[in-house]
Amino acid sequence: MTLREELWKNYYFMKRDIISFSTYKTNILLMIFSALFGALTYAFLGANATMEAVLARYHMTFTTYLIIGIAFMTYLSQSLTLVQRTINPWSLEEVLVSPTGLLTFIVGSSLWGFIWSTLTIIIYLAVGVLAFGVVLSVNIIGTVLVVALGIGTFIGFSMIGAGVLIVTKQGDPVATLITIITSLFGNVLFPPQLMPQPLQAIAYFTPQYYFLTDVRVMLTGGSVSSIAFELAVLALMCAVILPVGYFAFLWCLKTARKNGTLSWF
Amino acid sequence: MQNENAIETFGLTKVFKSKFSAENGRRLFWRKENRKVTAVDHLSLEIKKGELFGLLGPNGAGKTTLVKMLCTLLPPDEGTARVNGFDIVKDQMNVKRSIGTLFSVGERGFFWRLSGYRNLEFYAAIHNVPHNRIDERVMEVLRLVGLEDRAFEFFQKYSGGMKRKLSLARALLPDPPVLLLDEPTTGLDVVSSRSIREFIRNELSKKAGKTVLYTTHYIEEASQICDRIGIMNKGKIIALDTPDAIRNMAKKGEFVDIVVQNITEAQENAVRRLNGVVSVATEVQDAVLGQVRLRVRLENVDALPGVLDYFFRENIKLVNFRREEPTLEDAFIELTGAGITE
Repeated sequence: MTLREELWKNYYFMKRDIISFSTYKTNILLMIFSALFGALTYAFLGANATMEAVLARYHMTFTTYLIIGIAFMTYLSQSLTLVQRTINPWSLEEVLVSPTGLLTFIVGSSLWGFIWSTLTIIIYLAVGVLAFGVVLSVNIIGTVLVVALGIGTFIGFSMIGAGVLIVTKQGDPVATLITIITSLFGNVLFPPQLMPQPLQAIAYFTPQYYFLTDVRVMLTGGSVSSIAFELAVLALMCAVILPVGYFAFLWCLKTARKNGTLSWF
Repeated sequence: MQNENAIETFGLTKVFKSKFSAENGRRLFWRKENRKVTAVDHLSLEIKKGELFGLLGPNGAGKTTLVKMLCTLLPPDEGTARVNGFDIVKDQMNVKRSIGTLFSVGERGFFWRLSGYRNLEFYAAIHNVPHNRIDERVMEVLRLVGLEDRAFEFFQKYSGGMKRKLSLARALLPDPPVLLLDEPTTGLDVVSSRSIREFIRNELSKKAGKTVLYTTHYIEEASQICDRIGIMNKGKIIALDTPDAIRNMAKKGEFVDIVVQNITEAQENAVRRLNGVVSVATEVQDAVLGQVRLRVRLENVDALPGVLDYFFRENIKLVNFRREEPTLEDAFIELTGAGITE
């Protein structure tokens, strides 16, 4: 083998990868968005998210704000990818030929994930309290209510994403897009109010914003009535997105079954 | 009158639409064309209760599509079917309660970091085995397939044969009257294949009296264990009878098995063109000695001297020669006009 021939081999490796990569057009677009939004997120964080700014708006330290935001994002991440992770095509076929309903399958498959997420959140909060002086005053009923609404909303998105995955067989653009949006507009690392007005408006259309706003208030001694508006918006989003997701998932599943492509992804 | 059939299909049809690139060797991103493929074509079939029925056909014949429709995974485009008396479209839950399925790549549905026992425990639960009977039932089926000693090993450590046996065990968990086994021995070695075949024949069919639909593209496998065989090609059943009867369909003419030494491809083709020769199948018998086995089908025995005379004239050494009974493979080739592995 000459060096020239070896170089040609490298060319064919690269050609294989480029052709394969180019078939995931949505993915390419999302990767570009991801890089752009990532840069913007850290730019806003570095430029504006000071302790004073957070304190003025949320009446808590920046550490408390961050720890609660990052900890409770694990619930959202868990919910967002829940259905996709449970629909391994082969075990999905095995479940679909069993006398077990789809709802039982989804709920049953998600239980451990949520227990694990809860344990992770407890670790986050414990470290915050013990090591960084985070002060919590938990409204348990309010927190459970907010978490249930947040999880419900994101499971709705998850079902839409899983449906898209089953039909298109090309990754889950819904989960990727929401993850990208969350990084910038989700109220995780800095309050969206620190962004310019037009970008703030986008944040108000995301359930992440309301979920994390509500949960922060519920963990730091606030009352349910103080977040009545944000809670109502989150409940409305959940009431719309969860059933839409469920029926979209059923429709996609039916389409894939009809086309005989259920086990193709 | 009670229905004697465990499986009945009535004009069952499935058409797949697929997009393909019209690229002539060059990749085109968006230029796609639609193509329709009739995988199962107005198929009507009856399988009796307790019967071990073999569905034989080349790849792409429609066997797996038929199994997937029978187990409710695929909705038919036309026609319908009844499994254990239940309609596959209107009464899916009762169909699911009546069947055990094994897909040809079924082991991919197992959880690799769980033991065989734990995998079956999960599947027993979703197949409605009562909670207080799960342990007992899982051990029963593991014992039945001979895996009780390896029950608590990780699934990922199982051999191919063990994985397939565990798939069979999973199909047996709800103790269903009907088993749909899609190519249960594909990819297995000879010993594992035989062990699974014997288990299906002796334990499931003869002892337990289960109705088994067994798809395969291995001809001899189907002829060894099945009560009846349906040969499927291009979505249709083109022959349906006992293995012996199907074998006899190829009895027209004479079959001779001739082993020769140092024959060229041109000479093989010349044999095909001789008077009275219907077909010639060849395989290398011994590459070192240059021996080739010719399976020659003649219109009648009168054509044989002409064939032998050709070998003498061409100085082709005759190593062995004998008349043969037609095999199921001969019948299959005659019926489908193709090799089984096509």
